[in-house]
Amino acid sequence: MQREEKQLEASLDALLSQVADLKNSLGSFIYKLENEYDRLTWPSVLDSFALLSGQLNTLNKVLKHEKTPLFRNQVIIPLVLSPDRDEDLMRQTEGRVPVFSHEVVPDHLRTKPDPEVEEQEKQLTTDAARIGADAAQKQIQSLNKMCSNLLEKISKEERESESGGLRPNKQTFNPADTNALVAAVAFGKGLSNWRPSGSSGPGQPGQPGTGTILAGTSGLQQVQITGAPSQQQSMLSGVQMAQAGQPGKMPGGIKTNIKSASMHPYQR
Amino acid sequence: MEAPPVTMMPVTGGTINMMEYLLQGSVLDHSLESLIHRLRGLCDNMELETFLDHEMVFLLKGQQASPFVLRARRSMDRAGAPWHLRYLGQPEVGDKNRHALVRNCVDIATSENLTDFLMEMGFRMDHEFVAKGHLFRKGIMKIMVYKIYRILVPGNTESIEALSLSYLVELSVVAPAGQDMVSDDMRNFAEQLKPLVHLEKIDPKRLM
Repeated sequence: MQREEKQLEASLDALLSQVADLKNSLGSFIYKLENEYDRLTWPSVLDSFALLSGQLNTLNKVLKHEKTPLFRNQVIIPLVLSPDRDEDLMRQTEGRVPVFSHEVVPDHLRTKPDPEVEEQEKQLTTDAARIGADAAQKQIQSLNKMCSNLLEKISKEERESESGGLRPNKQTFNPADTNALVAAVAFGKGLSNWRPSGSSGPGQPGQPGTGTILAGTSGLQQVQITGAPSQQQSMLSGVQMAQAGQPGKMPGGIKTNIKSASMHPYQR
Repeated sequence: MEAPPVTMMPVTGGTINMMEYLLQGSVLDHSLESLIHRLRGLCDNMELETFLDHEMVFLLKGQQASPFVLRARRSMDRAGAPWHLRYLGQPEVGDKNRHALVRNCVDIATSENLTDFLMEMGFRMDHEFVAKGHLFRKGIMKIMVYKIYRILVPGNTESIEALSLSYLVELSVVAPAGQDMVSDDMRNFAEQLKPLVHLEKIDPKRLM
């Protein structure tokens, strides 16, 4: 007996806290709708609904909990009805029910739904019974199938749009560019200060392929002249060699000085 | 009693061999802003420093096949700044675990008649470019984000065009030789810039 009482009390407490949470979220939702209706967005409304549905779910779970005694078996009987203000009651109901009187009791302690609601419910049950078990099953199945199809379509749409959005963001660097830039800084690939004449000029700096070959030949002049693949390139690099020939003669005369310069004159 | 000398290194003459540790990557133009924001957060707190430099690379052809390369850099937007002459050696072929490119590095500040001096010595200009970008610092690490512009008319730094649609990102440290933990610090910093930029050691010889 005592165990059942304890269970009853514990379950009542749990129920109370759940209902209080539900009341709070409903209250905040109503406030949101009334005061911020011009700034309200559909996702925000959905959030509130989701919150409410979650709380109703937990409420249901609490009621279905095995430790909860069947409330159906409990009966609430008003013992004393008085038209006076009851401070205790006021405190417990947060000021909503000041008087435990004849008007308040039928509303608060009712167990049957409204007559209209009762009518509708009776109608629905007769309709459901009329259809028959098989047809009902078929209808249930088709509803489930349609719901799942819809869910699948939505999730696919979401996935596709997400992946499409991600891909352009991913490219923050281009490895080919990295290589080109590093080569330019390291040994002047693509930056050749060698200016070919006329028509080939504007075309070639734009083409990295020929640019590299040209830079290669200009960088390794006297050694690699024979390696130049095409006619035009060998002719042009031959021109450069002629130009470089003269300044090349000068270092010959001051060879020794240059050697010491390259051996770190600052070494002292 | 005289205080003992500050440095316990034997003074045999010569400079301390400085090595440059380098990691490079690039970032596309449209992602530059996010990279700059991230770097401003990660690096030492200072005003956003931009630079506009004109770099000329001089070659000296001796009898040996590989020419001697010197890099002369001048600032185009800071009046009165000295010219910067730099020698970079061949990348050291160390163990594969080293995370950064390491090469011998000698930096010298010079006066403005550097190009004339080099020409008299027999150097010839091989190529030149203009670098424009931002500079960040974190401790001894220096991060440069810059765009390379090709100079269309030799000697005229006004007629320039961008080399590509990306900015080059360089993380470099100049430290005495033998301090390999520097590359670990660099690698950790580079991790923080992913996935915006992939900083890695790129061997220039591979790109020849």
